[in-house]
Amino acid sequence: MTVKLQVKDLCKSFGTLEVMRDINFHVDEHEFVAIVGPSGCGKTTLLRTIAGIEKADRGVVMIDGRALAGPGPDRGFVFQQDSLFPWRTIWQNVVFGLEVNGELNAQTRMRAKEFLKLVGLSGFEKYYPTQISGGMRQRVNLARALAINPEVLIMDEPFSALDAQTREVMQLELLRIWQQGRKTVLFITHQIDEAVFLADRIVVLGRRPGYVKEVIQVELPRPRVLALKRTAEFGAYVERVWNLIEKDVHASIQEDAQAPV
Amino acid sequence: MAENVVVTRLKKSSAAWKGALFWTSAASIVGGLLLWELVGRFVVKKVLFLTTPTQIVVEIVRLARNGELQQHILVSAAEFSIGVVFAIFLGIGVGFAMASNKFAKRALGPWVAAFYATPTIAISPLIILWAGIDIWSKVIVVVINSIFPMIINTEAGLRSTDRQLIDAARCFGCSRLQIFWKVSLPSAVPFVFAGIKLAIGRGLVAVVVAELFGSRAGLGFLLAQASDAFNMPLLFVAVTILAVTGMTLTWLVGMLERLLMPWRTAVDQES
Repeated sequence: MTVKLQVKDLCKSFGTLEVMRDINFHVDEHEFVAIVGPSGCGKTTLLRTIAGIEKADRGVVMIDGRALAGPGPDRGFVFQQDSLFPWRTIWQNVVFGLEVNGELNAQTRMRAKEFLKLVGLSGFEKYYPTQISGGMRQRVNLARALAINPEVLIMDEPFSALDAQTREVMQLELLRIWQQGRKTVLFITHQIDEAVFLADRIVVLGRRPGYVKEVIQVELPRPRVLALKRTAEFGAYVERVWNLIEKDVHASIQEDAQAPV
Repeated sequence: MAENVVVTRLKKSSAAWKGALFWTSAASIVGGLLLWELVGRFVVKKVLFLTTPTQIVVEIVRLARNGELQQHILVSAAEFSIGVVFAIFLGIGVGFAMASNKFAKRALGPWVAAFYATPTIAISPLIILWAGIDIWSKVIVVVINSIFPMIINTEAGLRSTDRQLIDAARCFGCSRLQIFWKVSLPSAVPFVFAGIKLAIGRGLVAVVVAELFGSRAGLGFLLAQASDAFNMPLLFVAVTILAVTGMTLTWLVGMLERLLMPWRTAVDQES
């Protein structure tokens, strides 16, 4: 298997606050990797560094062995809710990445249409984001990221703003979509069961500063169904990840409680 | 003979609901005018104290016949529209400069804040003294009264662009220029429109007040003439025209808003 995305020795401080220390991990081609960590593990900074909108003090991010110098269409991003442009229709949102990179043509339009169909939103082209539900907005978000045909799909807690039922449906949908093209995916979440359900491997981060605590291989069969979440095997994985971050989570809650209001 | 009576509840989006809303405002206007007319005819009979709507209409027709009315309207309209259009474009330009350049912000900020809070209408006599009694002095008064809400709103709109949207655009590889055109500008449009509404309101007041201070024609001139002669029907003519103009302009801006910000209307329809 070839390495698609490599994060090497990333270090970053803001003034005296060290947020990332020697972060190392990789994502193989066609692999689905989840990153899990308590708040304060530096995942926002990590994500911004991978996106190329934040510069690391040390270390590199590489795709196919090339070090990245800035943002580019080789990475497609799915953000938390509300990052769709409210003044653009669903269709205009989906083609946004193509448009700004000057790649909007008959062929890419066809591809964008295909992705819109894949996420189940054909016929909603002319709607505005405010007219559709939160779950549908995240599907558009996904189609927008896929439309630029990126090497790596990076998803930042994409389902965190959704209600529990919608979230489960979206997880299944994401797996269904992923199964079609097997894009390389880096999925950031703070929900352990979500990470176990979706990923081939889980990168567990520790906090203050952020560092890689452990990488866990998830050996659950694919295609995965919701019933899997009730198996003992699944529970064991969740337990294992939880044990790794429990102390950190308590520490972060304590810290929040002590923070001056 | 049994009659079939179908009772349907009005849905908020239905045509019947919209019709009911329309007839409510129509009834309110007609009722108000009728009440005014009746009070003027049977309670306060002196024209000096209360001119009735019919008397105003008669006066409007008389003035329109001899061409006097059109002339005054034309003068005021020219002063107002030149001034407001100028204020809108210059205001957007200055607001943009202040939002995108820290030095421009520091240099212009204190002046804008000071002038916005000052009732600049008070210096209109001075402007008339400087620029003369013809239309250009009024244009200037309109500009200095209308431009500050434009500047402040444009700047606030460009600045308040959602951080997340800017980050999203950057992740997709947008250049700074693209972020301005495709993210900051569209997200500032609602603010700019709010500014335009304020500018129009202030501009209308500015035209009339400036004309009151010194002019040879215009609706403000008509007002001054009417009040000097205690010609109340004439006074009401000017006031009526100003009120109708204000309403029409607000309605026009509303139309333009729906045209340029369809995503906003989409929200309205939902709620």
